[in-house]
Amino acid sequence: MQVKLYATLRALAGVTTLELPLADGATVRQLAECLAEHCPALAAQIFEPSGELSRRVHFMVDGRNSRWLPQGSETPLHSRQTLDVFPPAAGG
Amino acid sequence: MKIREFGQSIAHVDLSTGETSIRPAPQEWVRKYVGGRGLGVRYLFEAGPEVEAFSPENPLIFMNGPLTGTEMSMSGRWACVTKSPLTGTVTDSHQGGWTAARLRWAGLDGVVFTGRAQSPQYAFIENGNIALRDASEIWGHGVHKTVAFFQERYGAQDLSVCAIGPSGETRGRFAAWVNEDDRAFGRGGTGAIGGDKHLKAIVIRATRARSEDVDPEQWRLVRREMLDHIRDEKNITSPKKGGLSVYGTNVLMNVTNSIGALGTRNSQGTHFGERAEKISGEFVEENILVHDPTCHACPVACKKEVEIKEGPHAGLRMESIEYEPAWSLGANCDNDDVHSIAKLIDQCNDLGMDPIELGNVFSMYMEASERGWLEGLPALKWGDRQTMVALTEAIGRREEPLGDLLAEGTLRGAQHLGHPEIAMVVKGQAVPAYDPRGLKGMGLGYATSNRGACHLRAYVAAAELGVVAIEADPLAWSGKGELVKTFQDLHACGDSMDLCKFSSFAQGADEYAAQLTTAYSQSWSGEDVMTAGERIYNLERHYNNLAGFGPGSDTLPRRFLEEPSTEAGSKGHVSELPEMLTEYYAARGWKNGVVPPAKLAALEIP
Repeated sequence: MQVKLYATLRALAGVTTLELPLADGATVRQLAECLAEHCPALAAQIFEPSGELSRRVHFMVDGRNSRWLPQGSETPLHSRQTLDVFPPAAGG
Repeated sequence: MKIREFGQSIAHVDLSTGETSIRPAPQEWVRKYVGGRGLGVRYLFEAGPEVEAFSPENPLIFMNGPLTGTEMSMSGRWACVTKSPLTGTVTDSHQGGWTAARLRWAGLDGVVFTGRAQSPQYAFIENGNIALRDASEIWGHGVHKTVAFFQERYGAQDLSVCAIGPSGETRGRFAAWVNEDDRAFGRGGTGAIGGDKHLKAIVIRATRARSEDVDPEQWRLVRREMLDHIRDEKNITSPKKGGLSVYGTNVLMNVTNSIGALGTRNSQGTHFGERAEKISGEFVEENILVHDPTCHACPVACKKEVEIKEGPHAGLRMESIEYEPAWSLGANCDNDDVHSIAKLIDQCNDLGMDPIELGNVFSMYMEASERGWLEGLPALKWGDRQTMVALTEAIGRREEPLGDLLAEGTLRGAQHLGHPEIAMVVKGQAVPAYDPRGLKGMGLGYATSNRGACHLRAYVAAAELGVVAIEADPLAWSGKGELVKTFQDLHACGDSMDLCKFSSFAQGADEYAAQLTTAYSQSWSGEDVMTAGERIYNLERHYNNLAGFGPGSDTLPRRFLEEPSTEAGSKGHVSELPEMLTEYYAARGWKNGVVPPAKLAALEIP
C-alpha cells in the first residue's frame, strides 16, 4: 500500500512516497502504526504519548480526512485509494 | 513610546489644500473600535457611505493598532481602510514588514488622507511630524525603483517606504500599496485611491523605540506567554518546525489539492493532480528558496525569498511565493511553472497590484478565449505564461486596449465581454484560493465578507483543515453559520489590534484579551474581544447597507452553487450556500444581510 507524505512529515521521514506492507482491509490506525514503525522519526508526530492517534496528523483517504469518515481511524483501506498524510497546514 | 497613549496622534492631511494637523481620535472610538481596521472603519463611516470611491471626499486611512511597533509578537502590522474602487464596499487591507512599527516609533498612530493633490506628492513622517513633498520625479516608476529612490535620498537606515506603482497611478481598480519592496496592502484597490489622490508614497524615518509606560514585569510575562504559544511545537507557527514557518503559506498547496479545494481553470475544476507539487511550498523549499525574511517582532518568518537560476527569468530574486498567488497565477490559470509565478508576483509587487485579482482576471479571460467570447480581442491560452508576463505589464500601466480593460478587474472585464457569469467574484472582488465546494465554511466566509470575496475575514479553513482546537468537517454545511460568525468577530478584533492573522493559529480571544489588558491596564476579557469584533463587523456591514448592499449581495458565483466538483475529496459537492446563509443570518441577528436598528443599538453603533 502506497502513502505519500507532505511538508514537515516528508522532511522528517526523508522520503516523499512509501510502500508499506499492508494488505487491503488494513485500517487507518494500522497504516499509522506501520508508518511509525517504518519511519521512527514520525512516531512522535503520529501518536500521543498515551498511544492515541495525534490530532496533528491528518490521514487523507481519497482526499477525505479519515477523522470525518464514518469509521474514523477504523476505516478499512485498499491499495487503489490515494493515501496522503499531512501535518497541520494553514496560511493566508 | 507610550502604549497607553495610542490614538492620541492621528495625522490628518488634506491633499487639496496641503494642510496637515495631528489630533487625537475620540476616546470613545478607540475604546469601542480598538485601532487598525476598526478605528479606520469608524473614520471612514464618518465620511459617509454615499461618498464615491474616486472622489476627494473618500478618505484613505492608514491606521496602526494599539500594539503595533511594540515588543509583542506579531505586532508589526497596520491597516489601510477606504471605500474600494473595485467593490464599492468598505475595504481594509493589512501589511507586514516594518513600516507600521516605524510609524509608531516616529510618533504617529495613523494618517487620514482626504482631498486630491494638484501634482504628485509623498508624505514624509519623522519625529511626530508629517509633511507633503513633491513626488513628480518618481511618479511613473515602479515600487522597487521608488523604494531605492527614497533610500538614496534619505539613507536606507531606519527608513521605510510604502508606495504605489504605475497601477495605482493609473487607477487600476485592484492596485495595491506595497512596502519594503514586497509587502502589500493587497486587496480592494487601495492603491488606486492613492493614485486618484496623487499620493505616491509614505516615507517614514524613525529609530526603534521601546514601550515605556507598561508595568515591566507584567509586560514581560504576557509577552513571554504569547511567545510561548507561537513557539509551541504543536502549532504551525513554531519557528523552523511548524509547517507555516518552514514552507510559508504555500504549505497549503498540496493539502487543498488533496481535498479537492484547489480551483483550476477558472474554478472549473477543483484539483490540479500531480502538477500541484510543482508549485507547492515543498517544491519551493527544495529547489529555489534562499532566505526566510520576517516582519517586525515575528519569530515565524513565513516569507519565502527565492532566486531563479535558470530559464527566461534567471537572475530574479524576489519574495515571496505565497499560497494565494501560487494558486491564482498557477493552478487557476493551468500554469505549473513556479519560475513564471515568481516573476508574475514580482511584477505585481513592482507595478503595485493584487495578484489574487490578477490571476482571476487571467483565468476569466482564458475561459472567454477558449469559449470564443473575445469580440476581436487577442486570445490568451491556458497556461500561456509568456503572454501572462507581457500582459501583466500592460495591465499595470493600463496600456490600450487589453491592459486598460483588464485593469478594471475580473467582473468588469467579464461584463465587457458579455459574460459576467465567468467572473469568479463576490461583490466585485475575485475569489481566493479555497474552492467553496471543498471547504464549505470558506465559501460562506467569501459570501458574507464585507469587503468582497475574502479568505481572511473569517478564515474558518483553520477549523476545516484541523489546525486549531475547534475542528469542523470541510464538507459539512451544518454549523458553519455560527462558526463563520465567530471567526469573523475574532479576526475583526485581531485586525484592529493589529496582530498578524497567523497569531490566531496559536492564540485565541483570551490571549488577545491578555495583550490588550497589559497594554492598557484595563481589564479585557475574551468576551470583550468578541464583542468588539462583532461591533466592528456590524459597523462595516451597516456602512455597506447604506452604500446599497442588501438582500442578495451575500452570494457566490453560480459555478460554486450549481456545478459539482468532479475530483478528489470534494467530488460531487456544491456549496450549500442558502442553507448556510440562513444559519449565519440567524447567528448574526441580521435580516437578509441587513443589520436591523435594534442590533445597531445593542452594539452602540451610530
